Amino acid sequence: MASIDIEGIRKSFGAFPVLHGVDLAIRDGEFVVLVGPSGCGKSTLLRMIAGLEEVTAGDIRIDGKRVNDLAPKDRDIAMVFQSYALYPHMSVADNMSYSLRLRRSTKEKIASAVSGAAAKLGLDPLLERRPRALSGGQRQRVAMGRAIVRQPKAFLFDEPLSNLDARLREQMRAEIKKLHGDLRATSIYVTHDQIEAMTLADRIVAMHGGVVQQVGTPLDLYDRPANLFVAGFIGSPGMNFFEGRYLVSGDHADLKLENDVTLPARRVGGIESGEPATLGIRPEHVVITEGGALEGRVDLIEPTGFGIIMHVTVHDVPLKVFTLNRAMLNPGATVRLDLPRDKLHLFDGEGRRLG
Amino acid sequence: MTHAAHHPATKPFRKRFADAAEPYLYSAPALILIVAVMLVPLVLGISYAFRDIQLLNPFSGRFIGLDHFRALGQDQAFFRALRNTLWWTGASVFLQFVFGLILALLLDKPFAGRGLAQALCFLPWAVPSFLAGLNWAWLFNPVIGPLPHWMYAFGILDAPNNILSDPQLAMWGPIIANVWWGIPFFAITLLAALQAIPRDLYEAASIDGAGPVQRFISITLPFLAPTIAITILLRTVWISNFADLIVVMTNGGPADRTQIVASYIFTQAFKRLDFGYASAIALVLLVLLLVYSLLIVLLRQTLLNKD
Ligand SMILES: Nc1ncnc2c1ncn2[C@@H]1O[C@H](COP(=O)(O)OP(=O)(O)OP(=O)(O)O)[C@@H](O)[C@H]1O
Ligand SMILES: [Mg+2]
Repeated sequence: MASIDIEGIRKSFGAFPVLHGVDLAIRDGEFVVLVGPSGCGKSTLLRMIAGLEEVTAGDIRIDGKRVNDLAPKDRDIAMVFQSYALYPHMSVADNMSYSLRLRRSTKEKIASAVSGAAAKLGLDPLLERRPRALSGGQRQRVAMGRAIVRQPKAFLFDEPLSNLDARLREQMRAEIKKLHGDLRATSIYVTHDQIEAMTLADRIVAMHGGVVQQVGTPLDLYDRPANLFVAGFIGSPGMNFFEGRYLVSGDHADLKLENDVTLPARRVGGIESGEPATLGIRPEHVVITEGGALEGRVDLIEPTGFGIIMHVTVHDVPLKVFTLNRAMLNPGATVRLDLPRDKLHLFDGEGRRLG
Repeated sequence: MTHAAHHPATKPFRKRFADAAEPYLYSAPALILIVAVMLVPLVLGISYAFRDIQLLNPFSGRFIGLDHFRALGQDQAFFRALRNTLWWTGASVFLQFVFGLILALLLDKPFAGRGLAQALCFLPWAVPSFLAGLNWAWLFNPVIGPLPHWMYAFGILDAPNNILSDPQLAMWGPIIANVWWGIPFFAITLLAALQAIPRDLYEAASIDGAGPVQRFISITLPFLAPTIAITILLRTVWISNFADLIVVMTNGGPADRTQIVASYIFTQAFKRLDFGYASAIALVLLVLLLVYSLLIVLLRQTLLNKD
């Protein structure tokens, strides 16, 4: 178990910069999830921590010790790959015990570590099989087992569940969470699946274009996204945005859209009247009510079973609404909507959060 | 009436015949081709081994049973050639393999100018064997080649002489030429096999705590094993039959010190013009190589089945 400190990490492949100065302090035993769209540099950052990529600039410390120039084998970390990377010519048991055999652990120690991990992951009946003879989910478990047999300082996961079907992913997600609860090992988990990020993380690191956008607990990111990127990335269906000008009148504020329609906004600091701003509201926070201030034209209804996603147009601006009200399966041509002020998010012209 | 009674019986018979013959008719073209091109010459060649065939003797050609093989059992030159063949084949294959593997491992790592280096390394493969033999014979010749002088300067030789005329060292001449000429074969096939190994296995192993040597032993070698087995089989059979370099560089000399079975067959057939005896030797070589191949194939099967 160990803390991991990342200071001013940069990475370029040749002249092509991928990471632009990442700072991150991960506490002992913490479960940190890196999320972001494809190509934002999550895997690169993880592989640098593992020692599989050179560090262009900055420092990585594990347990206070600088590891920039240490080989992967000397960092005492374990990694689960997206492709699992199981050794195809070794049995499941040999795959799991490989790291212990390299460390010349005693036979008894290896046997007990392997059987302990196998029991945790339900791999007992498969120990003599080759990876080729396993299903995708079983391979995934073996990859996890290989990581947990030796107690490393930290676990690194690179999209470990992305090759599984939805049901299995859900199940493994819960198992990973349970395992972390048992082992309390420092873990860094890369995914672009925001449900995984929200459910697993102690803290989420949202990345975009090689820059960390926000670090915080899942609810921090959901309730108070630091900028437009995080606001749009976290949550499904995604947040609705309206662009316009921020107008203050007394202790009251509005957003004036391009087409001169005004929407109610909140009074916040850090922005002058007349400056450009973006208003955001999550689909689940839009209220459908008889006396709503806005009129929306219904374009499309998407029932998800649990609830209903309605695509409506308000003053020529598309808006998504999520409701649990089954009556909305057959709405009229129009609905009346309200945007509750306390659920509004405001962003300035640069996309930074206000208030 | 008889006709009517007969008719239903013939039709099923014809049909039955057609059904039975169908697979043979489909495969007939391929079978005829194989028999004509491969089996007929093979059987004829084998039959020579049991006949007295001397090109300059018009009265030869009768069947003599196992006489050739009895003579072979007494033929000291043949046994010496057999020992030389083992030596020539073993040393050539081993060195070609070792250097080919090293070259493949070096070419597997990315570096600037790798494409050019690969092309250059594979060049010897394109050189005709007779040209390679002549070239190396000249290199070993102290009058025109630099090698004896270099080896003398390094203290490998007592004097800058031609190793091809030294009975103790002569075999090394063709072996060195053969190694130079055959490295690309191993390098190409092993490089292809190396590049098929998923890179993330190496990454996983290095995170598991394996150093370069342990990664080589526990990942590279198991992945290469089937390729190694089959290439060594092919090369062994091929090199033990390969007399070009020896014929060009030493012609079996000095004092038969570099005579291998293949060049001995050549000598018997085309110098002494005793085709029968040459065929008998060839038959023995064929049987030995078949046994060897069978062993390697079995080894490979067990290796593959272990997975
Ligand atoms: N070896 C490499 N050489 C050059 N560019 C690379 C290399 N590896 C990654 N990149 C580039 O670095 C950027 C970040 O890649 P990275 O694999 O970290 O993305 P990611 O966030 O993990 O994306 P994904 O979610 O698709 O896995 C990408 O633009 C990619 O093209
Ligand atoms: Mg990735």
